[in-house]
Amino acid sequence: MNRQVIDSAVRLPTRDGALDAGAWFALADHWGISHAVAAPSDEFVAVYNEEGNALLADLVERHADKLSALAVANPWYGPRALDILNRAFDRGFCGLYLHPARQGFHLTESIVDPLIKLCLARDKPVYAYTGTPICAMPLQLAELARRFPKATFVLGHMGWSDFSGYDVIPAARQAPNIIVETSCTTGAMVGLAVEELGAERVLFGSGYPRSHPSYEIDKLKDLTLSQDQLDLYMRRNARRIWKIGA
Amino acid sequence: MKVIDTHTHLPGTLLGGVPRPAEELRKDFEEQGLSGAWIMTLDGLVGDPRPHNDILSQAVRPHREFFVPFCTVWPHLGLKACLDELERAALKLGMRGLKLHPWLQAFSMTHPAVVPILRKAGELGMPVLLHDGTPPYCTPLQVAMAAEQAPQTTIILGHAGLDDLYWDAILACLRLPNVYLCLCSLSVGPISQVLTHCPSDKLLFGSDSGWQPGLVRSALEKFVDLGLSHEEQQRVFHANAERLLPLESSEYGTLS
Repeated sequence: MNRQVIDSAVRLPTRDGALDAGAWFALADHWGISHAVAAPSDEFVAVYNEEGNALLADLVERHADKLSALAVANPWYGPRALDILNRAFDRGFCGLYLHPARQGFHLTESIVDPLIKLCLARDKPVYAYTGTPICAMPLQLAELARRFPKATFVLGHMGWSDFSGYDVIPAARQAPNIIVETSCTTGAMVGLAVEELGAERVLFGSGYPRSHPSYEIDKLKDLTLSQDQLDLYMRRNARRIWKIGA
Repeated sequence: MKVIDTHTHLPGTLLGGVPRPAEELRKDFEEQGLSGAWIMTLDGLVGDPRPHNDILSQAVRPHREFFVPFCTVWPHLGLKACLDELERAALKLGMRGLKLHPWLQAFSMTHPAVVPILRKAGELGMPVLLHDGTPPYCTPLQVAMAAEQAPQTTIILGHAGLDDLYWDAILACLRLPNVYLCLCSLSVGPISQVLTHCPSDKLLFGSDSGWQPGLVRSALEKFVDLGLSHEEQQRVFHANAERLLPLESSEYGTLS
């Protein structure tokens, strides 16, 4: 495995009130993942955003070669969410992580708009967890992406499980500013995304800890991607979108 | 380790697939590490399933020591037609389980025909494996509500709630003695949660193979880091399946 794999879908699990990165670093090393774009998880996504961002920022400062950070800011906090996000961007976070099912909003609700506008103003992409009805579905993300055509949206987990083969490609066709991240779904769906959208719009992710690098890398064995497509999918797209090493 | 996959499909044209002969499918499954497979129709999950029960039973007839065929019925044909077909599939075709897919077959688990169908399957000794995890037709708790009314029938949640509803599936498995979970299409994290909370004698391995290549291998890959004991592996990968439906030792030929 090439040692330059960049993983665009890691959430660091919570342990004893902190973010646990140790298990992730061991796995990343074993599977040849040189850099991960990580977000906080659990209560830090839903409620304690500022604390989660601070813990993650500390980790990134100590492991800048291995980690980039996505900020969490629950839209229901209103102006406070904007402050939280601004501070995270000031500390070098590379994008916003939205989890509608955990944070309690629909991707089509305007409550999220101020955060998207801030991401636009700060030139930061938005990673949105997708796959859970009724609030985090691919076509809902497409609506959001169409309302903000200049923002970049990453469609997380490719809508897994029941939207991967049905809604994701049509949704991404509606909005060219959508990039598809493929953790959790099957290998055949990765091939479909590359074929239908072009390799420039598909991102590798391990989905850790919901999924595992062993599965995510094994599932690619049956794909017939060119070296250039694989290179885009496994690392170059991530560098471009998250501005890693810029 | 012996592995029996309790959730596979005979490839068909549905979802852009290409039909494959059972012999070729068996070879593919064996190369990916399987010793046996419960097999269900794919094309028969849309429209009248009766011709597809014939197709599946015929296709696997020479491979009965490897494939365990499941029939399907369609509640929209009416209860009597479903019960008649279930009996025909069991007694004439030798099919050994029932597959229902409320989403593709477009019925809710609250459809009035569902509980009588489940009870009939139990009378015929057929476990019922359902697609689940997909609102609004087949959430784990919708399946559990029906399963509670058919306590003599083994009910298997074919996807253990999928990634969104696995916790509901765990609750159903813990509450109802006749509810089993198939660890199919779940991601590694949810599988780990199910293994932590549910008794391993009610869990089954499944891959959903038959509609995409390589699914058995990548489904097995999900278990490599989960730390299952040897006993747990035996139960999940083959013993539970064999207890519910023993593989036949010789070629099918005992039924009318």
